[in-house]
Amino acid sequence: MTLPDWVEPIVHYMATEGLKGTLRIAVVALAGSAAIGIVLGTALTIRFRPTRMLIRFYIELWRGLPILVTIFIIFFALPSVSAQLEFDPFTAASIGLILWGSAQVAEATRGAVESIPREQHEAAAALGFGWVGRHRFVVLPQALRRLLPPLVSLLVNIIQNTTIAQVIGAAELLETGERSVERLTAPPPIGPGEVHAFEIYAGVMAVFFLMSFPLTRLAAYLERRLVV
Amino acid sequence: MLAVAFDWSFLSENAGGLLAGLGRTLWVSAIAIAGAFAIGLVLGAARAHRIPVVSQLASTYVEIIRNTPILVQIFFIFFGLPQLGIRLDAFTVAWLAVMVWGGAFNVENFRAGFEAVPFRYREAGYALGFGKFATFVNVTLPIGGRIALPPSINTYISVVKNTSLLYVISYQELTTTALNINALTLQTVETFTTLAAGYLLIVWTLSALIRLLESHLALPKDVR
Repeated sequence: MTLPDWVEPIVHYMATEGLKGTLRIAVVALAGSAAIGIVLGTALTIRFRPTRMLIRFYIELWRGLPILVTIFIIFFALPSVSAQLEFDPFTAASIGLILWGSAQVAEATRGAVESIPREQHEAAAALGFGWVGRHRFVVLPQALRRLLPPLVSLLVNIIQNTTIAQVIGAAELLETGERSVERLTAPPPIGPGEVHAFEIYAGVMAVFFLMSFPLTRLAAYLERRLVV
Repeated sequence: MLAVAFDWSFLSENAGGLLAGLGRTLWVSAIAIAGAFAIGLVLGAARAHRIPVVSQLASTYVEIIRNTPILVQIFFIFFGLPQLGIRLDAFTVAWLAVMVWGGAFNVENFRAGFEAVPFRYREAGYALGFGKFATFVNVTLPIGGRIALPPSINTYISVVKNTSLLYVISYQELTTTALNINALTLQTVETFTTLAAGYLLIVWTLSALIRLLESHLALPKDVR
């Protein structure tokens, strides 16, 4: 059995352009979310009301807004506030995902840090560590292990939410799929005038499933191993 | 130069449109939440009791929905299915897509809730002469349902937020309405501030409800 003629160029385009775009947003968003979220989450355990309220507000704000709305605000509203705040679709989508993702990580980190027994803090303090050293060398290395399952779950969510970048036209997997559907639907001489929306969107779903399913399983496995 | 001045007349001039959009967001969310509740309850119970065939089908449904982006699901239903002759209007796709998504997450919420009910409670039900179904209704459901309630409300909050994605099928809910108003008025700061405030109002209200329910419905310590 051979594949129809339209398949090969489109798969090639979606794999080289779309999948690359998806992974690019996902990697940037995961790294940014983890870095900012871990710092904010650790700072959230400091017993100082103003910083706590500020970080709380950050978390509730970006977790409360639909990511699409956050990305719209960054992409459409910020440029009208200041011309310097104009971003390309990839950057705007990555920032939107980082704001949301870091709020998720911050909440998870707070829980992980607070789950480390007080004696660990005290022992580190007795060894002469200051607040930063105590967290950097004693508390966070232990907390990070507990943070691993939620971070893997976050990666799954980030991979799926990269598709929201499609709405502002970033060439990720869904966007390249949509462009392919349009190109195929165009009547001759521009395109072949065939409708293949079903196959293409089913294909996009399948690719996301293949990326997410092993990670979902990994997160579940890590969580089980941690409980025991 | 930062030019951030909020023109308050924006609100009175666009109140009608924005409230209609908010109304559609809430209406679609309400249908989807009711549906997701029913799906979660029935399939969650089937999963927890390992009812053959239904349990496997439910598991497949949950894994497919949870491991694919909801935006692609919306594209698939609205743009992909017509190729097979299945044409649904925007409103139907709107509530159907978010309901199917919320239902999948709710199956897991309820399954976990029902499975958290200790077996000895069910045993006690059987000892009292209850059948399987009566034991579920009188023992597993009241206890497991309470355990599942807070996570399921979290799912409903996500359902509300996901209705914003219906923008891609031009369903006139809050986000689509706001973007249309923005295109007409060019009052970008006002439009997006109002849009964000609208969602935060709904989401923060529901979060407050979770905290309230958590303290009211918390099981006494010795039940766990």
